[in-house]
Amino acid sequence: MTDNQNAAATCLDETQFDVMVIGAGIAGAESALKLGDMGYKVLLVEKEPSIGGKMILLSKVFPTLDCAACITTPKVSETARHPNITIHTLTEVETIQRNSDRHFSVQLNKKPRYVVEKDCTGCQECENVCPVITKDQFQFNLTARKAVYIPFNIANPRIALIDIENCMLCGACEKACPSNCIDFTQKEQQLQITAKSVIVATGFKLFDPISIERYGYGRYKNVITSMQMERELAPTRPFNNVLRPSDGKIPDKIAYVFCTGSRDHTVGNPICSQVCCMYSTKQAQLLMGALPMADISLYYINIRAFGKGYNEFYLQAKDMGANYVKGKIGKITEKENGNLILRFEDILTGKVTEKEHDMVVLSVGLLANPAITKVFKGEKLELDPINYVQQPNMLQSPAQTSLEGVFVAGTATGPMDIPDTIMSAGAAATETSSYLKRLS
Amino acid sequence: MALIQPDLTKELKKYGAFDFNACYNCGTCTSVCTLSTEDNSFPREMVRYSVLGLEDDLKSSLKPWLCYYCGQCTENCPQEASPGELMMSLRRWLTAKYDWTGLSGLFYKSWPLTVLGFILILAAEIGFAARLHFHIDRIIYYGHYFEMFSILGVFTIILLPNIIRMWYFTLLKRKIKAPIKAYYTAISDLIVHMFTQKRSLDCDDNKFRWFEHFILVIGYLSLLFTTVFLNWFETSNLFINILGYLESAVIFIVTFDFVLSRIKKNKEMNKSSQPSDWFFVIWLLFMGITAFVVRLFIDIHLIDIHSTVMNSWSWVYMFHLMILGQWALIIVPFGKWTHFLYRSFGMYFAKIEELAK
Repeated sequence: MTDNQNAAATCLDETQFDVMVIGAGIAGAESALKLGDMGYKVLLVEKEPSIGGKMILLSKVFPTLDCAACITTPKVSETARHPNITIHTLTEVETIQRNSDRHFSVQLNKKPRYVVEKDCTGCQECENVCPVITKDQFQFNLTARKAVYIPFNIANPRIALIDIENCMLCGACEKACPSNCIDFTQKEQQLQITAKSVIVATGFKLFDPISIERYGYGRYKNVITSMQMERELAPTRPFNNVLRPSDGKIPDKIAYVFCTGSRDHTVGNPICSQVCCMYSTKQAQLLMGALPMADISLYYINIRAFGKGYNEFYLQAKDMGANYVKGKIGKITEKENGNLILRFEDILTGKVTEKEHDMVVLSVGLLANPAITKVFKGEKLELDPINYVQQPNMLQSPAQTSLEGVFVAGTATGPMDIPDTIMSAGAAATETSSYLKRLS
Repeated sequence: MALIQPDLTKELKKYGAFDFNACYNCGTCTSVCTLSTEDNSFPREMVRYSVLGLEDDLKSSLKPWLCYYCGQCTENCPQEASPGELMMSLRRWLTAKYDWTGLSGLFYKSWPLTVLGFILILAAEIGFAARLHFHIDRIIYYGHYFEMFSILGVFTIILLPNIIRMWYFTLLKRKIKAPIKAYYTAISDLIVHMFTQKRSLDCDDNKFRWFEHFILVIGYLSLLFTTVFLNWFETSNLFINILGYLESAVIFIVTFDFVLSRIKKNKEMNKSSQPSDWFFVIWLLFMGITAFVVRLFIDIHLIDIHSTVMNSWSWVYMFHLMILGQWALIIVPFGKWTHFLYRSFGMYFAKIEELAK
């Protein structure tokens, strides 16, 4: 009861916060939760319609093979229901300006959902009647969705939104909605808030392999990205089985192309993405479980299994029968039946070799997401040479940035796996807390 | 036991190689190479040998000669280690290793030395003309003999022994026992590759370059034949006369385009020209132009080949002779010209090796 009263009291002023966390992936959510638990008033800003970031879309996590959704969803619900955390989804930060009192003035741009948030029950009646079909970005284009849609099954908030770009304004959803929550009159809102500190948790972008023409992604239907395979293997998977896109056949010779868009100067990303070796190994194990007769070959340059339990996990995949081949794929060509010929140099024999597979998964790397630097007015958030947020004091204070009162969490600092991200988010929360203590 | 020589890296860089030590052995270069086959996989193996400095393995390898430098490996190398340029440098380095005189290596590594060689030849030419009291008829007469003797001399004293050395390094030393018949059956490969460069057609998007190179080789060889054996400058046969014009025109038109593409650097293979590459194309260009102009001047009577007096137009012939001397005594035996020979013999020996298996 007292908790609720406190919550009600803190909710009175919705424009003043101790911390604004930008990005509600697992790094942002974890920092927000930790700070909320400490009693700070947190604003969590997310540009997507759901919080949970990329982890909520994953199948399982390495090296424990825990279900990713089962770890993420409780955390996401806790964040959403936390009395000290205010969440704005579909919202982007426009500007951040430091005031004379060292607090930050922030302008937010909240995009319209065209659905009244508090009234939507998530019944999906609108989805049933919507006549528009378009690509589902949360299934990484493997399947389609409607123009009015709930982002994905375990989205939070689990309420609908209208993709106005693709909507044909027929009004069918408006008639079907039992709670009358469709509202086409909604407009973009500019919100002004102040925050004493900021945590940048803007995460990463996935490498788009379309730029590597040799691999034929986008041209050859059975060449997919690891994120698409992640969806095919997830509990909320679209097909309820692993199918190859060209003809819906269950694949039985699957190849993984490591270092697609990582450690590659020609695509402008010379660094290792740190997670691809392990997530591919995880997917290989899951595939061997899902398709016991399938051959899984993984073409690598070097296996980087450096975390706790990672090397054992890699060896386990090998013992299960995963075929690790040293040699980077140079070229992929498609046969008429949709199978793919992979050309590579087998480094162990030193010979050019060609192997046929019926499905190819490109283990795509992680790229920096540097757009956030533009919102800081009058001062500059420094980036490192690869466009991740610079950590000027990486060993002593890893969450510190070039700006006082602005901290960084998770993959905004560089590629990292989930355990490291959680630790980074914790570090950002404690550093922010100690900064706020010093400030007051 | 292989001896690892890290210093070989420095040596190869003098021949034009870039930072091939950046290689992390992914094999992308080999797998994107359209000429790479299961039996002859390159260039990664060559990069590996170069990094470790396995001089004997490099010296006995024919693989550098199997590459036509389409540049795919360099364009796609994730580490920007320029494997294509390393292969080119290895060809230069091998040329130096095959050369018993050791002059190739000196010329490749130092362009001032090459220029010094050019100056010496110019001085010798002037001295020679002075001894003939600048009688243009006699200069042209002896100039023709010079062509014949330089071809014969360069071939027997320099090129033939070098090819034998190449054979020794690449087949004999590796104890590849090929039956005599293999040497005979592979000859067709030698001829085809020498005159047509057929293999380079397998390089992607390369048809026009192949065509240019093909007519250049044919034009060059036939001009050589026309001037030396049909005595183009002194002939009165109309057919031979026109043939000579055509051949020299082909040479300077094609080489002009080659020079232009090296300046524009629009293809991977043109991006990093060494002095030896410049000397080769520019001297060939000059040779085509001057031969054309000399015969033209003879035809319009600006140069009188029967006159004993040297007029100012006759200096064009002197210039032509200088280019010819520098070409025949430096670029042909010790410079890039030898690639023509070593590459075709490289493929010949590779065929013999294949037959021996």
